[in-house]
Formats: sequence, structure tokens, C-alpha cells
Amino acid sequence: MMEVLSGLGTGFSVALTPFNLMLVLGGCFAGTLIGALPGIGPINGVAILLPIAYGLGFPPESALILLAGIYYGAEYGGRISSILLNVPGDAGAVMTTLDGNPMARNGQAGKALSLSAVASFVGGTVSVVLMSLFGPVLASFGVKFQPSDYVALMVFAFACLASLVGSSPVKTLIGALIGLMLATVGVDANTGVQRYSFGIPDLLAGIDFLIVVIGLFGMAELFHLVESQVRGRLSTVPIDKSFVTWADLARTKWTILRSSLIGFIIGVLPGTGASVASAVAYGTEKRMAGAGGANFGKGDIRGLAAPEAANNGSAGGALVPMLTLGIPGSGTTAILLGALLMFNVTPGPMLFAQRPEIAWGLIASMYIGNVALLVLNLPLVGLFARMLTIPQHYLTPLIAILAFIGIYSIVGNPFDLYMIIGLGVFGWILRKLDFALAPVILGFVLGSLFENNLRRALSISGGDWRILFSTVDSLVLYALAVAVVVVPIWLSRRSRRFAAVAEDE
Amino acid sequence: MPDRIFAAALAVVTLIYGALAFFVISAPFQYDPLGPEAWPRLLSVAMLLCLIGLLWRPATRDFDVDGPSWARLALVLALLVGYAVLFQPLGFILSTALFAAITSRLLGAAWPRAALFGVLIGAGGYLLCVGLLDLNLPAGPLPRL
Amino acid sequence: MSKFTSLALAAAFAATLALPAAAEIDRPECIAPAQPGGGFDLTCRVAQQGLEGLFDRPLEVSFMPGGIGAVAFNMFNTTRTDDPNAIVAFSTGSLLNLVTGKYGAWTVDDARWLATAGTDYGAVIVRADSPYQTLGDLMAALKDDPASVTVGAGGSVGSQDWMKAALLLKAVEGDPRKMRYVAFDGGGEALAGLIGGAIQAYTGDIGEMSAHMDGSLRILGVMSDERLDPPFDEVPTLKEQGYDATWPIMRGFYMGKDVPDEDFQAWVAVFEKAHASDQFHKAQAEKGLLPLNLSGKEFDAAVREQTRQLHDLAVETGLIAN
Repeated sequence: MMEVLSGLGTGFSVALTPFNLMLVLGGCFAGTLIGALPGIGPINGVAILLPIAYGLGFPPESALILLAGIYYGAEYGGRISSILLNVPGDAGAVMTTLDGNPMARNGQAGKALSLSAVASFVGGTVSVVLMSLFGPVLASFGVKFQPSDYVALMVFAFACLASLVGSSPVKTLIGALIGLMLATVGVDANTGVQRYSFGIPDLLAGIDFLIVVIGLFGMAELFHLVESQVRGRLSTVPIDKSFVTWADLARTKWTILRSSLIGFIIGVLPGTGASVASAVAYGTEKRMAGAGGANFGKGDIRGLAAPEAANNGSAGGALVPMLTLGIPGSGTTAILLGALLMFNVTPGPMLFAQRPEIAWGLIASMYIGNVALLVLNLPLVGLFARMLTIPQHYLTPLIAILAFIGIYSIVGNPFDLYMIIGLGVFGWILRKLDFALAPVILGFVLGSLFENNLRRALSISGGDWRILFSTVDSLVLYALAVAVVVVPIWLSRRSRRFAAVAEDE
Repeated sequence: MPDRIFAAALAVVTLIYGALAFFVISAPFQYDPLGPEAWPRLLSVAMLLCLIGLLWRPATRDFDVDGPSWARLALVLALLVGYAVLFQPLGFILSTALFAAITSRLLGAAWPRAALFGVLIGAGGYLLCVGLLDLNLPAGPLPRL
Repeated sequence: MSKFTSLALAAAFAATLALPAAAEIDRPECIAPAQPGGGFDLTCRVAQQGLEGLFDRPLEVSFMPGGIGAVAFNMFNTTRTDDPNAIVAFSTGSLLNLVTGKYGAWTVDDARWLATAGTDYGAVIVRADSPYQTLGDLMAALKDDPASVTVGAGGSVGSQDWMKAALLLKAVEGDPRKMRYVAFDGGGEALAGLIGGAIQAYTGDIGEMSAHMDGSLRILGVMSDERLDPPFDEVPTLKEQGYDATWPIMRGFYMGKDVPDEDFQAWVAVFEKAHASDQFHKAQAEKGLLPLNLSGKEFDAAVREQTRQLHDLAVETGLIAN
């Protein structure tokens, strides 16, 4: 404990100089700008701005602090397009659109943006605190998680998603299956065999997650806007001056804390990230709300707070295996690892002993980055919310342009542009037929994780299926999965029975 | 009816998907009992069952898109494809200016404003994204920043 | 002449002075065609550190995972064939994929082979508390029953990571198809699997191990001809322990096949200069690579030579028909 405190002391003394404070604020601002482009989340944001940070010739700790600012800024920037335009910026932001965008359309854009900032702040802070206190212990838990445990985790995640079932269960299932089928395109990770790529080079590696998200959500939204405009169904949103209130925070405080924790734990596991974390947190909250959760998906503040807290929580959790073991568990940490390597800092078991000023400076800068984000973005909420007052005939092409910039600047492949247009048409048709799009995306994310880990587990056991039930972690997760599905049904039966009894009397 | 058409179309795709999984995809040898084909097979069967369910009891009554909407949507789709085609050869500034101007005109902006919007968004977007944020966007025939 | 054009001319003039950076190479980029943390990541880092100061701006490292490098190879054969800024990291494993048709119809002629980053060797790694104290223990277990040891690595069947495991089996005259092999998505995940206990032995590269020399892992052997320099001088080779399995991994960079000659030569010049410098040797050493400094024509010949050897090896292990 003393070690942690003195370490943090070192870190803060580095991070709190006026120059470094200025850097973290500047980083947050640049990050928010770049993160607002669909497709560019924290991962690509930091990757893109990394050489600039390097080129400025700052000392390593200052550069890392700048990057931490950019990272948090980009994380938040992605929420802006999710909430205002229904176009998720990156993987973790898909669940944010579910309630965030309805809130904006109900004239509560300001409230949604500010609540998202607060929930992100809490999620980020909780995970950094947990990371500094329990990092090494948690890291060894994370790597002990075996392929068979990932299978159980995916089953649990699917069970949580059962709560996403909308009006038509068959359509939800079809949606998820579409996602699962899309995920099988490309090289098979176990045997190296090609599946469904038809010799098209751009498909050899499979379809990128961002392309599916931007296509199905962003471009489909564009077609939807065009159609609504022709029919004159587009109601103008009044300029709203709404803001998050203490009452909102009081109502969501447990949601935020629970989701931060869920996000952090899922983030610690190598290979799972913000998308799984936010989906599980959303599903859990909806389940826990029970009958009171009828408003989820229509602009419930809990439905916005949960994924926002969770995806920031997972971002901190993902740093644990990287800093303590030198294993980049997810794409999120990969780039920070790159940044560290660029300054000849090799993260790993020896980092805290050899370069404490860097390790703790980075952790301290994450505390500060979180605060900076809140301080910087709350006053700007009103400005962002005004984006909705841009006339439709400018906003619609703007969505396409932003999506093109975001998708093209990542890999520079024009084929991806055709892909998002095609998926956009498909997504628009799905929307017209009352399919929910979130199950498609989640099927896509969870599908390959499930298949690869299942087959990995079975190659470990030599084909013995009992391996799937061989660890405590997996059994706990299966039990939770059953509970998540059964308990709400039981609760609603019971309340119905109570209601029936009450009527009898 | 639209549900049935959609389900039928998806069923055709799924049948092809399934046929490939059952008869084509296989590995020379593998270390897991499932191999590359088992998961897609399972998915194709599950999908067909769901689609039969949807064909049996469709939920959406009508697609509800009228003539003018179809025309407008087709036009926007064509513009998007054109934008994608020209994105690299013409470069970001020119292709974006064209796309933004024509699309905003189509959606109701007056010509002068639409043109101004196109130029602003093309040049401004390039300056902001390439100059400030250092993104990778095509320059086309114009000199790189 | 406007002020702007004269400024541009001055800038162009300055650029020609700042040799060897050619006018076109304005944002040098090294593409690691895999997820971060693995061998390609390290390869690019060597270039990043070793070339520092030879360009106006640092070499940017970006990742293009997927298709065991096929995505990057295809990208540089379809859309970025003439990109003068980008070099792509590759290794012996990439050449193997090329040979076995994993990259589609592309051949060794479809890229310009630029220069080496160095060389690496396969290594057999277990946890410090593993029951397999020596390579002999592990090999005896494999000989007894190939399925008794869970071996894992960062690539699918037919990848170079798998080849290393297959070579172990061949060294004890076992059938590589009978082993228990787990394919992870990249070296980082495989290493997590080893530390976490999902697999018992990891056939990785010695270079990745420089960050893990804290005593939690044990390197049973290195697949080189002779012992390496410190910090790996304590690690015995497989050969000296009586197993004929060597696996050098040449690491280097290629460019698109349509890159103009002057730009390609500018890159070659940069690498020639770097290969002679201490900072490059230092970067090489830090990443656990052995010096192997080839560029231009010489390197091209070496790549073709190794490709032919790999072809023969692939036929031998039954990966391809001829």
C-alpha cells in the first residue's frame, strides 16, 4: 500500500507541472476532435497522433501525458457522433447509441452528452484506482483465463444480450446470426483455411469491425435521413439547453459504479475489450431494472450511463496486463505499448522496478486525463449539442464525408468505401423491417471470439468437451449466464402471481 | 410480404453459405475436432430454421417507401458510389467538394450555398484533417500539403 | 513568381540537400502486418530506432493485422504498389506463406525486397515451474506420445510458428499431424496462454523474449546453429543438445513492386548508412536480433535463395504438393 502511495506521489509530481497540465488539456481537445470522426476511436486516434507527439521532442513523460490526454479525448469524442447522429465512432460506442441517440432526439442532447462525460469520468477513474491498487494481482488473474473460460464468458455475454430481444425474438436471432455469419469471412485462425473470401484479396483477412459498424449504423442512418426528409417526417430538434442534474446522477449512481466494475474486469482479460464490456454492462442493467426497464432503448439515462462507464472502465483494465506483464491484451493497449517502446520503455514485469517515473507518471496522467476531460468537455456540451441544428441538407452529406474520412484514413483502401456503402443499404433495409442492428454488431464481435476460443479449448483438450466445464471461472460464468436469463423470468412470474393474488383479494 | 421477400432472399444466400460449409470448406488436417466447417454449418442450419419461422409468420406488413423516396434514395446511393469511385483519383478536396455540393443541392440547399458548402467542406476538411490531425487522405492531382 | 512558389522552391531545394531523403519520402512508415507485441512489431521498432535521424520525421509504425500478413501483401500489390513512404516488415514466415500460396497467386517477384532488420531464431519456451526442466524432458515426452504436450504458438497450421513445432516433432521422428497444437492470434496471446497455463510449451522467437528475462519463463533451447550473444548466451542450441532442428527467421522489409527506382534506391541508401551505424546495431541488439545486414541486390538474392529452401521444406512436410 505504501508503495502504491509513494509511487503515485512520484507520478503526480511529474504530471502536475504547469507544462504537463497544459499538454493534457491540449491532448484532450485534439483527441475529442479526432475521436468525433466515425471510425477513429482512441486506438486509431493515438496511433495517428503518435508521430506528432514524438516529433515535438518532449521528454518521455510529457509525451506520454499528452498521449493519455489524446486517448481520453478520443474516447469521449466517439460518444458525440453516437449520441447526436446515431453513428457510433468505434467498437465501444455501439451500445451508447441505443439510448443516447433517442435522448438527443427527445431534445435532451445536452443532458446525454454531459451524463456521458460524467459516467466516462467515473468509469475511467474507478478503473485507474483499481489498477493502481490491485494491478499485479489482477494481471495474473487475467492471463490465467483460458480459452475454455473465454467460451464461458461469451456464453454469458450472449445471455446478457438476450435482454436486447425486441418485439420479435426471431428477428433478433436472425440479426445476431447475420453478424455471426459475417464474422466467418476470411482466414480461419486455427487451420489457416480460407472461408467465404472468394479469392477477393480485401476479404482474405475478414471484414473489419469498424466497417461493419460504420456501414450498418452510419451509412444506414444516412439513408434513413434522406428517406425521412423526402417524406417530410423530419421534425426539427429544438435547441436544447438540458444538462445532467444531481437527480439524474443520484438515479444512475449504482448503474455507473456497477458498470465501471464490470468494464474493468472484462478489460483486464486479454482479447476482450470495450465492445464486450459495454454490451455486458448494458444487458446487466436492463435485466436488473426488470419491469422498470421498459424505457431502455427509448432514451433511458441508465441505458446511456451503463455502457459509457463500462467502456471507460475497460480501457483502464486493459492496461493492467500490458504494464505488469508486457502483454498487450487488446488493440486499445497495443498503441500505448507502441508509444512506450518508442521511448525505449519496455513494459513488462520489470517496468515498475526499473522506470518508476514512467510507469507511475503514466498512471498519474490517466487520473489527470480523466479530470481534464470532464473539465474541458462539460462547458463544450452546449456547443456540440448545437450540431443538431445544422440543417439536414448539410448534415446528411456531412455524415457520409465523416464516415469516408474515418474509414479511409485508417488503412487507405478504397474497397472499404464500397463495403460501407453496401452494408449501409443492407442496414437500411434491416431497419425498415424492424430488425434491431445492435444484435448484428454484437454477433459479429462475439462470434469469432466464441468460435476461436472454443476450437482452441478443444485443441488443448484433444477433443474432450469436458474442458469447457473444468475451471471454477467457467462454472461461475455459466451459472451467471443461467441466472441472467432465468431470474428476470422468475421475477416477472412472481410479480404477476402477486398481482393475481392482489386482484383476488 | 416484405418480410417474406427478405427472408426468401436471405434463405438463398444462406443456402449457398451452407452448401459451401457442408461441401467445400475443409482443412487438410486439424487439431480441433470441429475444423473450419462445423461453425458455419451450425450457423447456416440455425439461420434457415429462423428464416422458416419468419416466412411462416411475417411481422412487418408493408415496406412503406413511395416512388419519390425510392428515386431520391437511388440518387443518393449513386452519388455515394460516385464519391467512392472518385475519392482516390480526384483526391479528397475535389471529390468531397463535388459530392457535398451536389448532395446538399439535391436535399434542398440553394445552388450558391450548396457550392459554398462544398468548397468549404472540401478545402476546410482537408486542412483540418491533413494539416492539423495528420490523417492519411488522398491528395489527387492537387499538390500534397 | 509569387512568394508562395519561391517558398516551395526553396523547400524543394532544402529537401534535395537533406540527403538521402528523396523528395517523395515525406512520411516514412513501417507497417507491421500483425497485431502489436509480436515479431513484426519488433522488426519495425528496429527500423524506427535504427533509422532515427536519417529522415526528417520519425518512422511511423502502423499495424495491419490479419491474414497472417496476406492483407498487407495484397494491399501492396493492389492499391499501394507504388507507395514510396511505406516499408513492410516481413520474415521467413511470410516467405513461407508466399511459397504455400497463403498470399494468393502472388510470388516472390511481386515485391521489392529492400533490406534486413536482422535475424532471429526460433526458441522453445516453457514456464519456469514447468515439469519439463530440460529440452531432453520435453523431447522425450513428445517422442513417447506427441499428444502428451500442449504446444502453442501465434499462428495457424502451416504458419512459420507451426513449422517450428512441426520441426520439433520431426526431430524425434514423430508425425506433426499427431501433436497437440493450439493456434493463437499472435505471439502476445500465445505468451499469455503459456504464462496462464493454457499451453505447456511455446515455440516462439528468441527476440520476443528480451522483455521476459525476469526468471518467470525458461528458454529450453534456441533453434540456431551456434550459441547467441548475451543476454542469450546461456541458452543452449537445439543442435548442441542433439536435435537437428534449426529455424532462422530472417527479418526485413519489402516495398511495393512499382515503387520508382529513385525512391527505392533512396531507401537502400538509408539502410546502407544505417547498417553501418552504431545506433542500428544497438537497436538490433535490444530487440534480440542478430546482425545480418543486407540490402538492395544482395538482399534480393538472399530472399530468393531462402524462398527456394522453404519451398523444398514445405513439400517435405506435406504442406504443398510440389
